[in-house]
Amino acid sequence: MRGGSQLLATVQAAVWGIVYLVTQVLADPPLGLGTTLIIGIVLTVLLTLGYPSALRGPRGVRTSRPPWARRALTSPAGSSTRHSSRSTRTLAAVGRPMPLRSGLTEDAALRTARLLRPLLGGDAVAITDREQVLAFVGPGGGHHKVGDPPQTEATARVLATGRTVVVRHRSKLSCPQEDCPLQSAVVAPLAIGKRIAGTLKVYRVYPDPPARDLVEGMAGILSLHLELAELDRERNLAVDAKLDALRAQINPHFLFNILNTIASKARTDPEEARQLLLRLSDFFRYAVRQDGHFAEFGQEYFFVRTYIALEQARYGDRVRVKYDIDPQVLTAHVPVLTIQPLVENAVKHGLADKLEGGTITLKARVDPLTRTTAIQVADNGIGIPPAVLDKIMLGELDATGGVGLRNISQRLETLFGERYRFDIQSTEGTGTVIDLRIPLR
Amino acid sequence: MNTASLVVLIALLLTVGGFALAIRPRGVSTLDFYLAGQRVGVVTNASAICGDYFSAASFLGVAAAVYVSGLDGVWYATGFAAGFVPVVLFVAAPLRRFGEFSIPDFLARRLDSERVRLVAVGVVQLIILSYLVPQAVGSGITWQLLVGQGVAGLSPYATGVIVSTAAITGLVAFGGMRGTTWSQAVQFLLLLTALVWLAIAVLASGFNYGTAVGELDAAPLMNPVSEQEGDWELATTPNRLEEDVPATFGEPGARYGAFGQFALITTLVMGTAGLPHVMNRFFTSPTGRAARMTTVWVLGLAGLFYALAVMLGTAARSLIPGAVADHPWLDELTVDGVLRVPEHALPVLGRIYGGEAGLGLVAAGALVAVMSTIAGLLLASAASWGHDVYERHINPGATQGQAVWAGRATVIVVAFASAGLALGMRPETLTALLPSIVATMVTWAFALAGSALTPVFILTIWWRQTTATGAVAGMVAGAASAIAMFVAGVAIGDDELGEVLMTPTIVAAPIAAAVTILVSRRTSVPANLDQLWVKLHGTAADRHAERLARLTIAGVIDKGAKRDARR
Amino acid sequence: MNQDEHDTPAEVDATVRTLRRVAVGYFVVLVVGIVGVPGLTLVLDWWSEGRLLGGMSPSFVMAAFGLYLFFFVIGVAAATLSSAVESRMLGGPDDRLADEYVDQDGGQA
Repeated sequence: MRGGSQLLATVQAAVWGIVYLVTQVLADPPLGLGTTLIIGIVLTVLLTLGYPSALRGPRGVRTSRPPWARRALTSPAGSSTRHSSRSTRTLAAVGRPMPLRSGLTEDAALRTARLLRPLLGGDAVAITDREQVLAFVGPGGGHHKVGDPPQTEATARVLATGRTVVVRHRSKLSCPQEDCPLQSAVVAPLAIGKRIAGTLKVYRVYPDPPARDLVEGMAGILSLHLELAELDRERNLAVDAKLDALRAQINPHFLFNILNTIASKARTDPEEARQLLLRLSDFFRYAVRQDGHFAEFGQEYFFVRTYIALEQARYGDRVRVKYDIDPQVLTAHVPVLTIQPLVENAVKHGLADKLEGGTITLKARVDPLTRTTAIQVADNGIGIPPAVLDKIMLGELDATGGVGLRNISQRLETLFGERYRFDIQSTEGTGTVIDLRIPLR
Repeated sequence: MNTASLVVLIALLLTVGGFALAIRPRGVSTLDFYLAGQRVGVVTNASAICGDYFSAASFLGVAAAVYVSGLDGVWYATGFAAGFVPVVLFVAAPLRRFGEFSIPDFLARRLDSERVRLVAVGVVQLIILSYLVPQAVGSGITWQLLVGQGVAGLSPYATGVIVSTAAITGLVAFGGMRGTTWSQAVQFLLLLTALVWLAIAVLASGFNYGTAVGELDAAPLMNPVSEQEGDWELATTPNRLEEDVPATFGEPGARYGAFGQFALITTLVMGTAGLPHVMNRFFTSPTGRAARMTTVWVLGLAGLFYALAVMLGTAARSLIPGAVADHPWLDELTVDGVLRVPEHALPVLGRIYGGEAGLGLVAAGALVAVMSTIAGLLLASAASWGHDVYERHINPGATQGQAVWAGRATVIVVAFASAGLALGMRPETLTALLPSIVATMVTWAFALAGSALTPVFILTIWWRQTTATGAVAGMVAGAASAIAMFVAGVAIGDDELGEVLMTPTIVAAPIAAAVTILVSRRTSVPANLDQLWVKLHGTAADRHAERLARLTIAGVIDKGAKRDARR
Repeated sequence: MNQDEHDTPAEVDATVRTLRRVAVGYFVVLVVGIVGVPGLTLVLDWWSEGRLLGGMSPSFVMAAFGLYLFFFVIGVAAATLSSAVESRMLGGPDDRLADEYVDQDGGQA
């Protein structure tokens, strides 16, 4: 229940409110129950039918901020699957219940320690990783400095064994500073899976140590968060890597062909050659600038148009294109650099080898009620034989240039989990249809 | 009429006229004469469109229609205002982007056919003429009330018609378009001022809109009828929705049957997009987007204008009976507190609340409304004769000067043709048949525009397959069916069927659209359709213009900053 | 950035289709509003006999104020939507930013 459906529900509620107000309060005498219900139901039906129609979409011109900057700023509002490694930090700063969710950093450790000190019944709380103290809060902070290696022998033992250690005597703490006020401590391990990543230490200024199971339990919770953070990072790294691969993989054949075309046009039609160069620079600028995982459909659409303009320079009338786009889809966010590879696939495997050429149809729709963005790329080319299709899906054809559809489907999976559909239907002789359905955002 | 109101009237008219003449363009080229060089600000252009559009029908006619028929008269205001919604939806931006001189020019270039141009000129001239006549009638009625006497043996009505026509013809023929674009805007402001002042005066006197409607609704609606010449009495207005109940002010039925009100609204809504003098204004916007925003402004201004006009029509119905006792001059205008000529509603209110000066202000507003609309119509007429016929078919090698003179000659001929027709109609003889004659007559022009021009216009903009032959067939079919239905309506007279036949767009526009589509399917489209389509809907030129404008502004600011720095 | 770029027929065609859908959609809304106000008179007695704002029937209120506001809202909604669609579907994404951000761009490169 985000965005559109909520809006619809709110509006419906407001409509019924207004209907009640007008028919029962303002009207004199009030209307009968039947009439009121009919009015309300008619309005509800109208609204629901009108809701997914073409009446909605972007308003106003784009803001005066460049799109790449704006995207980076807005992304923290999204869910965790959405942020890139770059915006992760911003997300942590926004404040989550448990700071360590974003990983074992000094900043997160400090805030966690502050958060935990009153909860654990200790006078001082410290968090360390394997090499150094990340945070120390409480008495004794003067000489237990952030960045120092952990000094107590107990810490070393915890890091080595992964078991909680309780220290009841000042001498066992083995703090080199003579006037250290700390007397007792519980040191619990922070584990990511089987690996011990650090320790949580709770001190007291008198010999009675803090409750062992409390500290241990808290360390367990923190470990879970650390584990999740690690997963997030790994997943982001995976998606980033795929995106990098995509950027790096701008088809060398494509580039070579385009440059050839431009070179030959430079003599016959310098003006067109200039146009093509501009388009080509647009193409690269867009591909390189994308640092998030999502872009507005309008921007992806521009990328597709640029690509098609370049291909048309080469293939001429043999590559025809038809766009069919809902106004509302223009501002929907779609995974970046997804649609152009689909179109490129249609050119390469559908039209390039067809003598009389053909038409590519890009159709984009939004269904606000199911919160779905539906994108379809269809061509009436020669179609892809099943064996080749398998190879494309497995990414084995990447070597001949172009981005395997597999790259896209993998990225979709990491971004959306189960909540997407990516279907390819190809019939030899009649063409290929690629259907993509992703959650609307 | 006494000195005070005459002084106010003349002072205002001189100001407006002087304004038009003072900023008269120096070097006259046809482009300047017709289109003000295509650079006019959004709000100015919106006000100018309002000046063109709000004619006597809107200023006097809407209030009069409300005065006579109550709620059924309000549909005029609704229809006039709604007319700009199709314009903003379908017409404004593409029309500007294609960027020609006039509607016939647009259709001819889009469909690549001179035949279309000539047929369109014919339709446009018909529309203009049927729009000009009610304006002349309106000025005649105003003169009759204001001056009350004729010049050189003419009746007051005839004098009004001739004097206003002559004055505005002179202004248009020798002022040029840049003058009139600005003066249209100024004239609209005067019009709005008059209306707003009247509304404030009425409300300040303790007029309660809601209560007034409720009170009027309590009694049956009575209107004066004239059995014999000079012998008037009040009669209840029959209810066309329910036979046995008398019609009342706040409920429908006083004027239209169940189907008639839809027919009227359709006519008015579809008509605006085909009015040549209004559409020509869109060519003067700098970009398509500006044309669109201009229309939005027009919608806002029109909403304000008509809401006030409706309120004042109600106020006149509610307040004039109580004022008869204090204002003896009302005796000869009213029958038991109800005006004989409903168009007098606003001027009478003006005189009640502002004395002679108030009457002068409202009268000036009415004359200005008439003048600015006539000016717009005459210019549109001149543009289509001079540019589309004379420069292309009669004298293809015409110099700029010759073309401008051809336009001026057209202005004079068309203006006096309409004055002649207006003189042929005696408004008193028609009011019994058609309450609020001015508003009713204007709907004829809307019907013609909405039936013959709007469907073809929208199809050529939004349907690629429209062909020249299809458009010609559509325009002819629309115009013919509209005129045929209208003639049949006049013959049948004033019952429900006649009412529907006299607002024929609801039938004629679908006929025109169907004919256009059917014929287009059997004929072939222009060869360079792709280029035409890109020109019509592409924004490359707009983007270029916007970029240039930004650079210019940045340059000016930059220069200003440097100049400041040097000081 | 795209200084003298032209629109291609396919791009313009796509824009026309989207804009046409917008325009027709809003036109239907307009027709519903315009037909609805007099139309309700025929089917709902309260529409012409109820009393709001002192003495006006709901139908009179709509005709005297409500519809003008309705038209204006439709106009604003359609105009802003159409313009926004155009600016996204034709020309480059940097088009309107080109001049403001040309320097910053150079700085980054």
